[in-house]
Amino acid sequence: MDGFELICPAGTPAALRAAVDAGADAVYLGFRDETNARNFPGLNFTRDDVAEAVAYAHARKVEVFVAINTYPQAGNLAPWQRAVDDAARLKVDAVILADLGLLEYAARRHPDLRLHLSVQASAANAEAIRLYREAFGVRRVVLPRVLTVPEIARLNAEVDIETEVFVFGGLCPMAEGRCSLSSYATGLSPNKQGVCSPASHVRYEPRGTALATKLGDFTINVVGADEPAGYPTLCKGRFVAGDTPAYLFEEPTSLNAMDLLPELKAAGVHALKIEGRQRGKAYIGAVVGAYREALTAFAAGQPVPRLDLQAMVEGGTQTTGAYKRAWR
Amino acid sequence: MRDPDTTPDDRARLFEMRLGRAGLGLVPRLGGRLSDALLDRLFQRLAARHPRAFATLRSMPEASLRIEPVDTPAALTLRVGPALSLRVTRRDDDAGPDAARPDAIIRGPYARLLDLLEGRIDGDALFFRRELAIEGDTALILALRNTLDGEEMDLMADAASIAGPLARVLPVLRRNAGPALDRLEAARRLLPPPLRRGLDRVEARLAGTRPASEV
Repeated sequence: MDGFELICPAGTPAALRAAVDAGADAVYLGFRDETNARNFPGLNFTRDDVAEAVAYAHARKVEVFVAINTYPQAGNLAPWQRAVDDAARLKVDAVILADLGLLEYAARRHPDLRLHLSVQASAANAEAIRLYREAFGVRRVVLPRVLTVPEIARLNAEVDIETEVFVFGGLCPMAEGRCSLSSYATGLSPNKQGVCSPASHVRYEPRGTALATKLGDFTINVVGADEPAGYPTLCKGRFVAGDTPAYLFEEPTSLNAMDLLPELKAAGVHALKIEGRQRGKAYIGAVVGAYREALTAFAAGQPVPRLDLQAMVEGGTQTTGAYKRAWR
Repeated sequence: MRDPDTTPDDRARLFEMRLGRAGLGLVPRLGGRLSDALLDRLFQRLAARHPRAFATLRSMPEASLRIEPVDTPAALTLRVGPALSLRVTRRDDDAGPDAARPDAIIRGPYARLLDLLEGRIDGDALFFRRELAIEGDTALILALRNTLDGEEMDLMADAASIAGPLARVLPVLRRNAGPALDRLEAARRLLPPPLRRGLDRVEARLAGTRPASEV
């Protein structure tokens, strides 16, 4: 295809309809349990919701992917295997998996089900990706958000597989699927229970005109009255080191790679992914609409319009992330 | 002056927002039984229109959440769990030492809270920009936000449906609210200043706020 495939998030049926109506090529979603990495309260889809979502999307020629991208725990494989079986039964277009055992299960039990490798698998080199493709027939890999554009180009030249990259939304600067920062602070793992910085452990405390954001017993940040607030993920905390408070791992900025469409195309990227299954339908509609407009212009060889998504982003600032960044 | 960038839809929305805010300000003045009856009616209607969301709210562990529109004298207390209910009180009534502390509080301008409820605006973005403040049980707030965001709500239409025939009139009102509001604003500008200030005071009293000149 000439353009990119646009892959959009949905945490609720209304968000799915917003994504489809705003111009998604595919929508990814999760079941309402720990089998997906956005296991927040009130979010995600029942089996009946997925059936309705598939009907709505397919009627409009939009695909539905189901993320089953956490890691099954020893002795408790059933919820993950049931999720794969149900996704196949509900005729979704692909499942997004990370665990080796689950990939083997899906490939064996549902040979016609399209398999995508989740970003949670953190597959960042050609050898690893080739193994997933040859062993399980994985058709697409979602690349971790730590690669530069030249690295993506080299990788695409080495492996014959579709690559999908994040272009908008929250950034995960760690080795995805292997990060234990949130587990350390809360006792709940993003990789097993499916939630980084679970809301049950998040508190916002006013301190005069300032606002303290806490995760478990840890104060992650204190923002002044005029500073934007953020969700307290440990990797985006402001910590004191050498008497200086600073964002040691990552600043609370959001990824926006809209300016990099030509470079990503030249690098051989097949699909662009928007992050944010935990965000509301207003965010989904605005961001998907903006990206659809940009992709339409790009496919027609016109300049990509400068679309203002500043109001939607965490931290009030945007970055091109690792795509253009040299390590400090 | 009318903002040249606003559309008739924007102005209709502004009209509805003002009407809703005035209505919310009035509810606690109606007396407990009448306001409870009205709210129960609205709640039943919302439950009938949004069964999935209400089933989720009833399935949640019992907890209370206080919604405080900072520009009205009223506050809403939502109890989730099997005994799901919504109550409106005067904001200052709940500040006493005997008042049960809610498990969570959401605070923000009325218009923003309404936009949030109806999914017109992203709650995270509002919070990041500090237009919305939250306290207490973040999981409860998130569960409520996600449940309501999963619906397509139109509070004005739901409220109008309680009054039966008004529901049929609403689309017509909406179509005409923008131009009507423009004419009202034009007429207001022609009034002599004392009368105009008097009107401002009546409107502010209904909404439970004070006009800018008195702040």
